[in-house]
Amino acid sequence: MEARPALSIQRSGASQLSSLGVSGGLSSSLSIPSTHLEGTYQKLPDIQQVPSERELTTRPQAHATRVPTNNGVVGHIFSSSSGFSSDLHYSSVLPNEKHSRNSPFISQSLADTASLPLSQSSSSLLPQPTIPSCCNKENSGSWCTDPDFLDFPVSTPVQSGQVENIQRSEDFSKQNDWQEWADQLITCDDALTSNWNELLVDNVTNLEPKMACQVAKPCTTMPAQNQQLPSPSVESLRVVNPSSSANNAPAKPRMRWTPELHEAFVEAVNQLGGSERATPKGVLKLMKVDGLTIYHVKSHLQKYRTARYRPESSEGSSEKKLTSMEEISSLDLKTGMGITEALRLQMEVQKRLHEQLEIQRNLQLRIEEQGRYLQMMFEKQKSGLDKLKVSSSNPENPAATSDATKEAPTKSELESSQRDHLDSGTGTVNNAKSMLERSSREMGGEDMATEAGDLEKTKARVSETSPEQAAKRSRIEE
Amino acid sequence: MKFGKRLKQQIEESLPAWRDKFLSYKELKKLVRQISSAESCVEYGKADAEAEFVHLLNNEIDKFNVFFMEQEEDFIIRHKELQQRIKRVIETWGPNGTKPSEAEYKDEMAKIRKDIVNFHGEMVLLVNYSNINYTGLAKILKKYDKRTGGLLRLPFIQKVLQQPFFITDLVSKLVKECENTIDEVFPVEQEDEEEIVKEQREAITIAGKGIFRNTVAALLSMQEIRRGSSTYGHFSLPPMDLPDSDLIHSFQLNSPIPIV
Repeated sequence: MEARPALSIQRSGASQLSSLGVSGGLSSSLSIPSTHLEGTYQKLPDIQQVPSERELTTRPQAHATRVPTNNGVVGHIFSSSSGFSSDLHYSSVLPNEKHSRNSPFISQSLADTASLPLSQSSSSLLPQPTIPSCCNKENSGSWCTDPDFLDFPVSTPVQSGQVENIQRSEDFSKQNDWQEWADQLITCDDALTSNWNELLVDNVTNLEPKMACQVAKPCTTMPAQNQQLPSPSVESLRVVNPSSSANNAPAKPRMRWTPELHEAFVEAVNQLGGSERATPKGVLKLMKVDGLTIYHVKSHLQKYRTARYRPESSEGSSEKKLTSMEEISSLDLKTGMGITEALRLQMEVQKRLHEQLEIQRNLQLRIEEQGRYLQMMFEKQKSGLDKLKVSSSNPENPAATSDATKEAPTKSELESSQRDHLDSGTGTVNNAKSMLERSSREMGGEDMATEAGDLEKTKARVSETSPEQAAKRSRIEE
Repeated sequence: MKFGKRLKQQIEESLPAWRDKFLSYKELKKLVRQISSAESCVEYGKADAEAEFVHLLNNEIDKFNVFFMEQEEDFIIRHKELQQRIKRVIETWGPNGTKPSEAEYKDEMAKIRKDIVNFHGEMVLLVNYSNINYTGLAKILKKYDKRTGGLLRLPFIQKVLQQPFFITDLVSKLVKECENTIDEVFPVEQEDEEEIVKEQREAITIAGKGIFRNTVAALLSMQEIRRGSSTYGHFSLPPMDLPDSDLIHSFQLNSPIPIV
């Protein structure tokens, strides 16, 4: 079958884009995914030019009305694969053998962002020939989508708006376009790879990891991560979120609920006469939230009912089973205190843990931020060095060259260290950091040095107080 | 190996339903070792090995995400229900309620207090879950880069930072709201002597005991993990500032595993 190579490429490509709402269709027919791919691929360049998340998230709203009609069409495709798509979420026991074949693309893309040459990502597409064998061996269809379903959304920040476009462009007859796309993929179109690269680099803030409504999530962490997107849009985005899940939702979508959504849910349920009488369909209709599927509502309703009618057991259910033995030992500690006191104590410990977790998390975020920043500086330095080489060979500006020669030693130092250590991961950053600090100071760029110093100060402060505090008497003990 | 041991301890102390949701740190470490030693093997080239590794990591991440969001959804529901319950109790048996009854009120409030504290505890443990898995991932990636000379860590960890399971803002918010509620619900100082004695004699079904143990274990683990190690570097967390550390140590009762 001469169609085989094309098929495999298409499947690998399709699986990579499966998170965009096509996951269900792969096992059933070729024509469907092909058009999805075609639609997606065409849209990619468009997305490039829409970097701002606000614009993107308005897309779902704009296309919201399309969703219901598409769902009907898409639904039947997905239902046939509902069996396997459930595996996507809940099985960690996936057929292991050849999953990795598809991920070279993804991991190479990841490597791209770490500033490896673009050509590498192109060449990664070529090793695909191994995939046909995999594809044919395991025809269940599930393996194809699984790894990339997981990989893709996580590694490539596909916009929810993009998903919308795919849904819209469902046109089951454009097979020739698919061929073109496949050809382009095979020939490693540079535009494509640069598109991917851009997507990965520019749109880190807009990752849509799962089908979960994640558009708002990066937004909420914006302030913490110094992203440049506005936070006032968070609330509205949260509600808009559900719209994205519908478009890429197979039978078992993963949706992230929020308190606001839940309130709307409760209101709808109450309007329908309570949790026992309300039906998922009715609630769905009343809520009028774009992108919410009946499946979401059904499972949520189930949880809601459980929580209402067995409030104590549902809350304490897991622990109650294991504590009968421990109760006895606990009495040793808690005798001498009333229940309330015991609860207070427990509360204090819990609060303490939470405090520490928050501190730790912030530190972790800052550390990685630093790392990213330094990486960026690396690349800037590198390109700066190249420019410097060019300019120093044309001494038009005497002042500039004298400065350049002064700093050249430092920069060449840096470059050589880069070459030597580029492969040693974290170690590089440590060395480079001190070098960068020196060179940036010389150049008068104090910012980076202070940034680095800042983090160290924070770390020092945290560890300093520890020995003193350990000796302090507990305020709980009265 | 220290982290691996700590993680294992925490898993053992954790709620049963959670135990298989944690990072498979040991297995991943084994894989990294395999990869680094089989580097010369032509058949399984570096790119493939990395791809396999990434794939497994992604599976883990997916596992975390699913579990985390499921729990989060439960918490949202339970949080609202608790609020409603408190309102109901106050409105029914409270001093200005429809059928004021001090006994009933106290009774119900006691139950609510217990439930709130446990609820709070569970949420904090979920945040801890998120954190410890993140830490594990960061460590595994560091090991991978170190052993294979790869550059996987930095970009991959950036991706992890965006994952739902790591973005714990909502749960933290619920935790804080719980703390506020507790302040309102806990009696300021109404417990008189006889009441305390009476309560002692009652079966102290501290259903929260499991949670309590878990919390203590988590706190101490965290402290241990962050103690300066041989591989301490710029990407490491500083030692933890844990006041009342001795007191918390004393909470470890009859622990079969020596936590040292």
